[in-house]
Amino acid sequence: MSSDGHILLVPTPPPRPPRPSRWKLVLAILVVVLALLVAGSTLVVARVGRPLDSSPLVTAAAVSDESFEPEKLRRRATVAAAALDKVRPRGTIIVVDTFRNRLRLYKDGELLRVAVCSTGTGRVLRDPRTGRQWVFDTPMGERQIINKRKNPVWAKPDWAFIEEGYLPPPRDSEERFDDVSLGDYGIYMPEGYIIHGTLFKTLLGRRVTHGCVRLGDEDLEFVYKNVPIGSRVYLY
Amino acid sequence: MAGDSPPDPARVVSLELEASLVKKPQVYLVLDPPRRALEVRSRGHVLDVITLAGIEVVTQQPLLGAGTPPVVPVPAIWTVKSGPGDTDREIIAPDSLRPMPKEGEEEEEASPTPAPPGPTPTATPVPEPPASYRAQLDTGWDLWVCEALPASGFWPRLTAAVRDGWARLRGGGEDLPPALALAMSSDDAKRIHHLLRVGMPILVVAGAS
Repeated sequence: MSSDGHILLVPTPPPRPPRPSRWKLVLAILVVVLALLVAGSTLVVARVGRPLDSSPLVTAAAVSDESFEPEKLRRRATVAAAALDKVRPRGTIIVVDTFRNRLRLYKDGELLRVAVCSTGTGRVLRDPRTGRQWVFDTPMGERQIINKRKNPVWAKPDWAFIEEGYLPPPRDSEERFDDVSLGDYGIYMPEGYIIHGTLFKTLLGRRVTHGCVRLGDEDLEFVYKNVPIGSRVYLY
Repeated sequence: MAGDSPPDPARVVSLELEASLVKKPQVYLVLDPPRRALEVRSRGHVLDVITLAGIEVVTQQPLLGAGTPPVVPVPAIWTVKSGPGDTDREIIAPDSLRPMPKEGEEEEEASPTPAPPGPTPTATPVPEPPASYRAQLDTGWDLWVCEALPASGFWPRLTAAVRDGWARLRGGGEDLPPALALAMSSDDAKRIHHLLRVGMPILVVAGAS
């Protein structure tokens, strides 16, 4: 209180803002430094990398319009189209899809039958004695029916014995000949490939054969009766 | 090709290239980029058609400053130099061969249930082909069959760049040739796997069909 009786108000200093503790500051600096380090090293590593980059296909004509006269072009197109037309399949054809195991029979472009079949496994068999190999593929491309036979007999090749772990018997041995396995009909293509029946009907629709095309009994009979010798077979 | 307007030279060359292919009884593939279609053909006959979800050129590029993508000259015939249809094969080989048992003779290890005669079917199912694979072409390029094209955009590329860069710093990483990526469904990719074998011709056509 002052001498004249007034109350003196002494101004109190304003409260000081709380000082950030030192460890928080250090932590913040550390985080920033760490972030910079991570970003920097990521960029360095990324610059070393060669990621895959995809872009739309840009084609450049391997021919130029100027080098062709319209008349010559027309003639060339006619010749090429005629060459294609000459070999295009006609009449009765068989198409075999070896992945889906489906055989389709066409006559003059009309689909007559779709049959579930079995085709080659694609496996390789190796003879432990000689190292000789057989690839159990159903062949691809165009083949021709060269023969048809009722009650066909299978002359077993060497691989049929080696696969079972047996030594192949002599060529004229009775053990070579099997009149049961091929079913009622055999439709022959070159190089020993046959469209035939099977004893293992539950395996139709799967890749289980050594390259031949197996069919169920009814489908085999239909194909046998409707496919003349000389017909083309397209296997893919 | 009929009509007054002159035929498209690229289309004529495509026809001529196919005419050269059909001289042999082979299967060949026809890639038609404008139609986004891959066809399986033989002797000019379309055996199967695969619809493509996309066709892109895939190259390894640095994250920053990527170069211009290579241009593909078409029409052309490419040939598979090495394909998964050849390399992904399973090999079977018995350890040794024993003599055939004589008639009436029984082997020591007789099977409990008699099997029908004839060629024994495959005991184990054929492995399912993959849905993504590469085939080497004679052009030095790869044909990459895949379900989905590599993701574009900065962040996926950054992730891929870091992954590849890290592998390279550790002595790994792989330098891949440029590839023509064909995106298709998983089923279609598996379906053409066996077709990509050594020597398989691929006709890349151009021009309006």
